[in-house]
Amino acid sequence: MNKILVGLIFGLGLGALDGATALFYPETRPLIVGILIGSSFKGMLVGVVSGWFARKVQSTGWGIAVGSVLGLLFAFFVAFMDAKSGKPHYLEIMLPGFVVGAIVGFLTQRMGSPSPVNTLRN
Amino acid sequence: MEVSDSVIDHLRRVVPLPDLAGTRYQLESEIGRGGLGVVYAARDRDLDRRVALKILEVPVEGEAQVIARLEHPAIVPIYETGTLIDGRSFYAMKLVTGARLDHYVHSEHKLGERLRIIRRVGEALAYAHSKAVIHRDLKPQNVMVGEFGEVYVMDWGVETVAGTPGFRAPESTLDQQSDIYSLGALLQFLVPPAMSAAVAAIAAKASHTDPGQRYGSVTALLGDIDRFEQGLAIEAWSEPIWHRLQRFASRNAVLLWLLAAYTAVKFFLFFWHRF
Amino acid sequence: MDADTAIGGQAAQFPSTHLSLIEATEAGLSSEAMNHVVALYWKPVYKFIRLKLQKSNEDSKDLTQGFFTSALQRDFFSRFDPCKASFRTYLRMAVERYAANQHAADNREKRGGSVQFETVDDHDVPTESPEVEFEREWRRQLFSHALDDLRSHCRETGKQVHFGIFEDYDLTDRDRLSYSDLAVKYGIPETSVTNYLAWARRTLRAFITERLRGTTSGEKELHEELRRLWK
Repeated sequence: MNKILVGLIFGLGLGALDGATALFYPETRPLIVGILIGSSFKGMLVGVVSGWFARKVQSTGWGIAVGSVLGLLFAFFVAFMDAKSGKPHYLEIMLPGFVVGAIVGFLTQRMGSPSPVNTLRN
Repeated sequence: MEVSDSVIDHLRRVVPLPDLAGTRYQLESEIGRGGLGVVYAARDRDLDRRVALKILEVPVEGEAQVIARLEHPAIVPIYETGTLIDGRSFYAMKLVTGARLDHYVHSEHKLGERLRIIRRVGEALAYAHSKAVIHRDLKPQNVMVGEFGEVYVMDWGVETVAGTPGFRAPESTLDQQSDIYSLGALLQFLVPPAMSAAVAAIAAKASHTDPGQRYGSVTALLGDIDRFEQGLAIEAWSEPIWHRLQRFASRNAVLLWLLAAYTAVKFFLFFWHRF
Repeated sequence: MDADTAIGGQAAQFPSTHLSLIEATEAGLSSEAMNHVVALYWKPVYKFIRLKLQKSNEDSKDLTQGFFTSALQRDFFSRFDPCKASFRTYLRMAVERYAANQHAADNREKRGGSVQFETVDDHDVPTESPEVEFEREWRRQLFSHALDDLRSHCRETGKQVHFGIFEDYDLTDRDRLSYSDLAVKYGIPETSVTNYLAWARRTLRAFITERLRGTTSGEKELHEELRRLWK
């Protein structure tokens, strides 16, 4: 399984799990379907880009850094869009997004097969 | 003819010295006594280099030929064999400078370095076994660690008269399994149980009194050492649960920290939201 | 190879003249084997008995003679098991048993009172145990006989110069002459001094090996004893 696929699967899964935690808050329970879809999609994007990065650069530290920055960035977009429709939830969206991004970045470094071009070059 | 004790002492020193007349070597000093002969440092006059000369008191059938067949970085290469003027056989080999393992062990060395030495010895042993050669007398005195960390295993295929207690397998016929026993004993010698319970378990399995209970091959033993170094479960030991968790935690430390961070963030946000 | 310094034969090995104890027993040559044993062990046994039992010179001689006589009668060699111990150890333990039995027999003859030890009328007072003295005397006898063999051999083969140089250099307690002094003394080149000395030493080594062969069970024990001797 290549790293992009690993990123996609874990990003999707962890994003969904992260979105599901909205069930703990009464005010967000009615919007759970939208939150789940959005969170999963966000996670998937982070995972795919992290996976692509992991194929190019073999470094756990950089993988975590890139994943967390991507997670923060995409979470910001989501939080920005959400803020337009009502009360802003930047902290509640960006902070977990940052950490989930870091986890996805780590997993794409550790799992999956690297690019064959890279292994030859290395 | 009566002679004094001091003359006898003198004769005991000079009479056994090898007469290298007719060879290209010049005697320097005695290095040690191993197997069935004495090893001297000597100078090769033709090639202007120092060598180790092993003088065999007992003619051993093809000992040098056995070793010369083995070409491995951890096996000392033989340069020449011959017969001295007094009929004793000798062979010239690479002079290894460094420390014998029984001296080396007294200095501070990390676990990783000690296991590296065992691995080198094991690789040499595995290679020799593949050529149907058994060491028969593996012990700390027969392993040298060079000044750059290179490892040499010496005195191949020679069974000393009395054997070496603690490192010689209990069975009467020596074979590859008895070499594995000796390697286990060597591991135990180099890595005391206090350093690592897992390594102690590997050593105990290798040096089991019942040959059937030992590792099937040197490669299997080395495989367990590799698994130990990677933090994986080893064949030799059904570890207690807390040790398994500890191993899991150390192998997955980063992931566990990230998950802990996520959980902490979620808890923080939950209570922050509430209050 | 220099013919003058060769012992003989291409392998430069001195021909074996002694059988091992096992070979001698199997060949029915027990008495000949006993001769070799007596030659080497008489003095060590004598000294051991003398120190262990604190006997006089004459009594010790009698006991030593008695030991070897009884050993010959009781088929000494056939009861020797080389797997258990070296011949030297076996013999020493046999002497200990013999000496203990004799001492007990002596005590039974005395009527009442405590045992009176006779004084040892030797000049040198030994500081070592009887066992250590036994080993040391054994070694002295071995070298002594081998040196006699070497001297005889040199006389028979016209190598008196070889022996002379060896005697002057290796058998002296005094300050050794240098090689050049020896060369001048014997009227030979200095390189010959080196060669003659080397020849004498390896010939002595060969004679010692032969003497030992006649008092050990076989090659394995022989080489073990040689290894211990040349340590």
